[in-house]
Amino acid sequence: MKNIFLAGTMLMSAIGFAEARDLVVAQSSDIRSNVPGVNRDGNTDSVIFHIVEGLVGYAENGEVKPLVAKGFEVSPDGLTYTFKLRDDVKFHNGNAVTADDVVWNWNRYMAADTKWTCAGDFDGSKTIKVSAVTAVDPSTVTMTIEKPSAVFLGLMARPECGYTGIIAKDSVGADGAFVAPIGTGPFKWAEWKKGEYVRLEKNDAYVSPANDGKPDGMVGSKRPLVDGIKFMVIPDASTVKTGLLSGALDTAEVSADLISEFKDSETMQLIVKRNNGKNLLYFQTRDKVLSNIAVRRAMAEALDLDQLVAAVSNGTGEANGSMVSADSIFYSDVQKTKIPMDLEKAKKDLADAGYNGEPITIIANKRGNVPSFPAAVVAQAMMQQVGLNVQIEVLDYATQVDRRRSGNYQVISQSVAPRLDPALMYSFYVGNKDKNASLMWDNPKAIELMKAAYVEADQAKRQAIFDEFHKLMLEEVPGIFMYDMVDIWGATKKLHGEPVWQSNTRLWEVTLDD
Amino acid sequence: MIKFILNRLVMAIPTIVIVSVAVFTLIRLIPGDPAALMLGDMAEPQQIAEMRSVLGLDRSIPEQFVIWAGNILSGDFGRSIVTDEPVLHLVLSRFMVSAEIVVIAVFLASLIAVPAGVIAAWRQNSLTDLALVGTATVLLSIPTFWLGLLLLLAFGLKLGWLPVLGYVPISENWKAGLLYLVLPVMTLVIHEMGVIIRMARASTLEVLRLDYITHARAKGLSESAVLWKHAFKNAFGPTWTMIGLILGNLLGGIAVIETVFTIPGLGRLMVDSIFQRDYPVIQGCLLLVAFSYVVVNLVVDLLYPLFDPRVVAE
Repeated sequence: MKNIFLAGTMLMSAIGFAEARDLVVAQSSDIRSNVPGVNRDGNTDSVIFHIVEGLVGYAENGEVKPLVAKGFEVSPDGLTYTFKLRDDVKFHNGNAVTADDVVWNWNRYMAADTKWTCAGDFDGSKTIKVSAVTAVDPSTVTMTIEKPSAVFLGLMARPECGYTGIIAKDSVGADGAFVAPIGTGPFKWAEWKKGEYVRLEKNDAYVSPANDGKPDGMVGSKRPLVDGIKFMVIPDASTVKTGLLSGALDTAEVSADLISEFKDSETMQLIVKRNNGKNLLYFQTRDKVLSNIAVRRAMAEALDLDQLVAAVSNGTGEANGSMVSADSIFYSDVQKTKIPMDLEKAKKDLADAGYNGEPITIIANKRGNVPSFPAAVVAQAMMQQVGLNVQIEVLDYATQVDRRRSGNYQVISQSVAPRLDPALMYSFYVGNKDKNASLMWDNPKAIELMKAAYVEADQAKRQAIFDEFHKLMLEEVPGIFMYDMVDIWGATKKLHGEPVWQSNTRLWEVTLDD
Repeated sequence: MIKFILNRLVMAIPTIVIVSVAVFTLIRLIPGDPAALMLGDMAEPQQIAEMRSVLGLDRSIPEQFVIWAGNILSGDFGRSIVTDEPVLHLVLSRFMVSAEIVVIAVFLASLIAVPAGVIAAWRQNSLTDLALVGTATVLLSIPTFWLGLLLLLAFGLKLGWLPVLGYVPISENWKAGLLYLVLPVMTLVIHEMGVIIRMARASTLEVLRLDYITHARAKGLSESAVLWKHAFKNAFGPTWTMIGLILGNLLGGIAVIETVFTIPGLGRLMVDSIFQRDYPVIQGCLLLVAFSYVVVNLVVDLLYPLFDPRVVAE
C-alpha cells in the first residue's frame, strides 16, 4: 500500500505539476470579453479590475478619489472638471499616459462602434452630457458637462463601465478591432483559454496612487505581490470546495453552508465582507393586490427582519431596511429606521385593505451566490402567520430577469449588485414605469428626490435628500430591503490579505506563503 | 457499400431538419432575453431593443429560422451572442474535448464489461454470475456526479495522486493530459460498465441456449472455443449496437462530468449557453450532437458485418 501511495505521488511530481506559482482563484463562469465596459458581467469586471484604471476610482467609504489622475478640480459652476495626470503612471507597454491618451480613450468609449455599456450615461440621453474633453497640456485634461452633477465622477468609476479605464492605443489593432487591454493596472493581460482560465501577469513597473500603505477600494496601495493570477472557470460549488481543500485553488467565493466548516478548519480561512449590494423583496406596485399600500405594509410588518437575515445569511448579515448601504457615509440614524415587526398591526392592515386571501407569488432563483430562494422561503413562512397567501415560483435567472423587465411579477426576491453612491442605487428602482417596466417605484416625489440627489454636490444637503427619500419609502413600502449583500469567501491559510471588495475579486496587496 | 452509406446519410437529413426546427423554436419559446442578459441590469429598454435589433431577435421566429438555415447551408453557423466567437469553431473545439474523454471511456468500459458479461452468462447462476450482475446493477445505479465527486475526493484530495482542477489537451502535453483524463474517464467507465455487462450477459445467454451451441459442445469442442468462437460472435451484435448508442448519447451528454471536473467540453458549453440564452451556440451544439449520433450509428452498422458475417451492409 505504501508503495502504491509513493508511486502515485511520484507520478504527480514527475509529470510536472509544480509549475510557476500563480495565485489561483475560481470564477463561476468565463469572462464574456476582454474589452473594458463592453459585453461584460461581474466576472468580466473582476478580471478587468486588475488591468485597467480610470482617472478616478471609489474608495472604501464610497468617496471618489484620483487614480490615474493626481488630482482634480471642479469649477465653481460645477461644469468643468480639470484632471492633472500623475507622472509616474505607465501603460503595460512602457509608454507614459498623456492627456492625449485620455482624450483618445474618451472618444473611443463614446463612439457608437465601441458599444460601451455606459455611453448612455454621458451622451445626454439620461442626466449627464459631456460636451467637451480637451487635452490642455500633456498632463492636464478638462472635461466639461452641460449641467452640474454630483455623480459624474462616480458614474465613470463604476465596474459596469470598465472603470472607464485608460488603455493604450495599441490595445486596438490597425483594423479597429480590439486586441487586448493594455492598461496601467497592477497586473497585465497574459492569456485567455476560453472556457478554462484567464491568466494575468504581475506588472513589475507598477506604482500605486498616493496611499497610506493600505488598499482602499479601487485606490490606496495596489502593489501586485504575486507573480500572476489565474482566474479558473469552475461552475460547480463542490468542485470549488475540493479545489480549496486540496490547495489547487488559493481562494474563491464559497456557499454559505461552508461557513462553519471553514471557520473551524486548520488549513482554511473564511473571509466575510459586507458590500453595498442589496437583498430585497422587489414589489410590483401596479399589481392588483400590491397596489394597496396597506397590503405592502402588512407584508413588511409580518417580517422579523433580524431573524430572517440571521437565518438566510448564516449569521453573516445584518438587517438594513434602507436603500443606503450600512457602510456608506450617508447611513444616518434616519436610514437605520425600519418598519418594525408587528403581527397584530399587520393583520389589522390587511383587514382594512380588504385583503381576502388573494395569492401573492414571490419569484425566486436558486443561484448559489445569492439568497433569493432561502429569503423567499423564510419570508413566505413569516407572512403566512398573518394570513397572507404567499406562494413561491422558482425560475432560472434569465427568466427572472425577463419577468422583471416586462413588469410581469408580484414580488421578486432579488439581489442588486453594489453601487457605491446611493443616488446610483436609487436609479435601479425608481423612475417612470411607463417608460421602463422593470422599475419598482414611480412615486413622483421619489423621482424628484432621486434627480435632486444626482445634482446636489453638498454632502449635508445630499444627506437631507437621502433621509427624506427613506422616510417616504417607509411610508409607501415599494419593496422590503432586507440586508446588504455579504461576500463569503474561502481561502487557504497561505493567503494573506483580502481577496474581495464589493463582490469583485481584488488581488493586489494579497500575498501567498511559499 | 457506398450506396448504403449515401442512403443512410440522406435518411439523416430529415432527422437533422426536425431537430433544428424543434431546437430553434423551443429555445425561443422559453422566457429570457439574451439582449437583456448581455447588457446587464442597468440597461434602458431602448438599449435592449437596439441590441435585439442588432442580434436580429426583433424579427419573427420563421424569418429568423429561414435566415439561420440559409446561413447553415452556406457553412455559416453564426457567432456566439455571448463571446462573439464563430459557433462552428467553438462547438467543434469543445466537441473534440468531450469526444476524447467519451471515446476512451467507452472503449475501456467495453474492454472490461463485454468479457465480464460473457463470463457471467457462461457461469449463469453461479457465484461469479451473481457477483458480476450485482456489481453491474450497483454501478448502473450510482449517479455520475456523485461518483465523480467521490473519486475526486479520494484520488485528488485525500491521496493527492491526481489533479482536481483543470484540463490539459493530450495534443499539448500528453503526459499531463492523460493524468487530467484519468478521473473523468474512470467515472464514465465505472458507470457505463454496468449497462454493457448486463447487455453482454443477456445476449450471450440467449445464444448459449441455441441448438448450434449444444451441437458444438457435442462435437467435443472446448468450452473456450464454444464460447469465444461460436457464441460470442453471434451474441456481440446487440451489445455492439448498445455501445454505439452509449457513445452517441455520451458525446453530447456529459455536462455533469465536465462540470465536476472543470473540463471545457461540449456538454458544459451547451448548459452554459442555455442559461445565457446564447441561441446560435445552443443550436450549433444540438445540431452537432444529432449529427454525431447519426454518424456513430452509421459506423456501428458498417462495422456489424465484422462480427456477424450474415449481416451485409446493403
